[in-house]
Amino acid sequence: MLSFIGRSVIQKLVTLFLVSIVSFLIIHIAPGEPSQVNPLNPKFTPEIVERFRKAFHLDKPLHVQYFYFYKDLLTGKTTSWKDNQSVLKKIWERFLNSLPLFIVGTLITWTISFPIGIRAAIARGGIYDRSTTFLAYLLISIPGFFFAYILIIFVVTRFHVPVIGMETFGLREATTIHMIMDRIWHLLLPSVLGATGGVAILSRYVRSQMLEVESQDYVRTAKAKGLPPEQVHYKHALRNALLPFVTMFGLILPGLIGGSVIIESIFSWPGMGRMAYEAILARDYPVILTVNFISAVLVLAGTFLSDLLYLMVDPRIRL
Amino acid sequence: MNTDKKEFAAFPEEEALVPSRSRAQEFFRLLNKNRLAFAGLAIFILFFLTAVAGLVLTSGTKPVLDPALVRLPEKLRPPLSRPNLQVLRPEQIPRLGIYLLGTDDLGRDVFARMLQGAWVSLTVGFVAVGISVVVGIFMGGIAGYFGQEQIRADRILVLILLFLGIGLAFLAHPSLGILLFALGICLWILCGRAKLRLEGSPWARFLFAETISVDTLIMRLVDIMLCFPSFFLILTVVALLPASIYNIMIVIGLTSWMGTTRFVRAEFLSLREQDFVTAAKALGVSKWRIIFRHMIPNAMAPVLVSATIGIATAILTEAGLSFLGFGVPPPHATWGNILSDGKRFIFDAPWLTFEPGLAILIVVLSFNLFGEGLRDILNPKLRERY
Repeated sequence: MLSFIGRSVIQKLVTLFLVSIVSFLIIHIAPGEPSQVNPLNPKFTPEIVERFRKAFHLDKPLHVQYFYFYKDLLTGKTTSWKDNQSVLKKIWERFLNSLPLFIVGTLITWTISFPIGIRAAIARGGIYDRSTTFLAYLLISIPGFFFAYILIIFVVTRFHVPVIGMETFGLREATTIHMIMDRIWHLLLPSVLGATGGVAILSRYVRSQMLEVESQDYVRTAKAKGLPPEQVHYKHALRNALLPFVTMFGLILPGLIGGSVIIESIFSWPGMGRMAYEAILARDYPVILTVNFISAVLVLAGTFLSDLLYLMVDPRIRL
Repeated sequence: MNTDKKEFAAFPEEEALVPSRSRAQEFFRLLNKNRLAFAGLAIFILFFLTAVAGLVLTSGTKPVLDPALVRLPEKLRPPLSRPNLQVLRPEQIPRLGIYLLGTDDLGRDVFARMLQGAWVSLTVGFVAVGISVVVGIFMGGIAGYFGQEQIRADRILVLILLFLGIGLAFLAHPSLGILLFALGICLWILCGRAKLRLEGSPWARFLFAETISVDTLIMRLVDIMLCFPSFFLILTVVALLPASIYNIMIVIGLTSWMGTTRFVRAEFLSLREQDFVTAAKALGVSKWRIIFRHMIPNAMAPVLVSATIGIATAILTEAGLSFLGFGVPPPHATWGNILSDGKRFIFDAPWLTFEPGLAILIVVLSFNLFGEGLRDILNPKLRERY
């Protein structure tokens, strides 16, 4: 167990190191330089560009730049090229904005998919199963931005509530209950949109896991004993089908930093995705690289966590 | 042989050996049973024909349907409306005599623009997935077939020297780069020559030491690629590169080969232990012939399924990129940028949102349904499930 943890931590650290090199190279070898972003800007005189290049070590060779960048990142001193603010502070602020979307989206995904998937598996081949299957494909196939506009048209024309942004502008004097309702309305659409793909995929996965377990011998035995169907389905089958999903908690982790670029730009939601998008447009390399690095850390931590959870949950796996 | 034939002469040979249905017949029989997959295939063929027709009708200097023709007096006309003949010059009158899908905010015919965009979606889907499948089969095949072989330290040294040389030659110091490159080639030749002579000496033990297996190397590469958030990575690279449809295809292709690699590797690992591969080896069939003629065809089923679904994903990604304003430069229409341009008029001209949106939805859905159907059809284990 300890040797497994040690080995996989070392492996993940090596992977992380290589990821940091690759992402650094991708960004720096691509044509164009951040100091040339806006040549028409009168404030960008050659002297300022030169000073800028010096301040951010852009005049040094690549490997020195790499060293400086990750030294700054690991000591938490990276600053954005655009506004000289601390990158970590900026990311933290945006992260707090994205967090509610992530939490509500994940809750919707996990609470809706299980009942749908289980019922579809129990009534396999029936009308319910076939319609949810089709619906799942529909939700996977619909482009997020198109679905967003359908929902916006529907909600705005039917309920007459504003949905763009995090809250309605100028609601200072409103009562608390109004403020809360306003917040909920603004939160609802983006998180539903964030959850659609998840619901579709997870419910299909629940269904196939349930089908797998339902065809096992012990379920047939339980049925043959004459146990009531509820007990067979929920006590014998479901408990065993749940096993792989415990490990999926680890795989949610990368979603923390993801934040959908498209959905956040449609709803003008000042979250992580939008910040990354703006950083890409402004060629703000420190922000891009930091977001990339943190998300790589989360992906690796997520897979590590899910391996570990599997090890603890499934007694059949012994090292 | 002759005696064998006499013994079995009672059974008419030809009829006994040929299966009642050919493989293609069996395929279509199963496809017919899976109605959703059949609908998916039908829509896909329709989409293909539309896209080809769109390319023919909207390209060239004097296209039949001009997607870029601006008619300012006729802007934001709803679908199926007739053009106002008084305000238009003769060459501006739409060829169909009607705005089949309406006009946008510059009075351009949305029908022509949708046709032009169909070809973009089709090529992006197919080329991107083509790239990812080729890379995936190549990497997965190497990892699965040659995976156990160790890479010697001298080879790594040579590779490092070559790559460093090329990199330096193009980026910073051309002379130093060429020197390193030449050094790498010298080392390569020397190591090849000196291997037998140096056998046993401590130098050789270090130089020809076995480091990591090919399999580990490729699988670590897959892990690294999986660490990048894919849409964000694509967005970054596309934003940094000059805007062109080919860059998008290449970037999407090069960021989505990991799944195929894993499938092909797993298939190869199990296939190389099978009897028919052993038999081919015993017959002295060459390595590459075994890989290309015997193993890859047997490993194609999961690749085909993931490629079909990959096309759907690539079309969605391209639409998302054009929606954000990256990708194909503006006068050229894609479904994503028609929708993106139309979003400002979402309440006044909803057709600008709904037409491209529905088109993307239907095409992507058809690919997904066909891919899932293909999975059932190609998988003998799942055949009896429905």
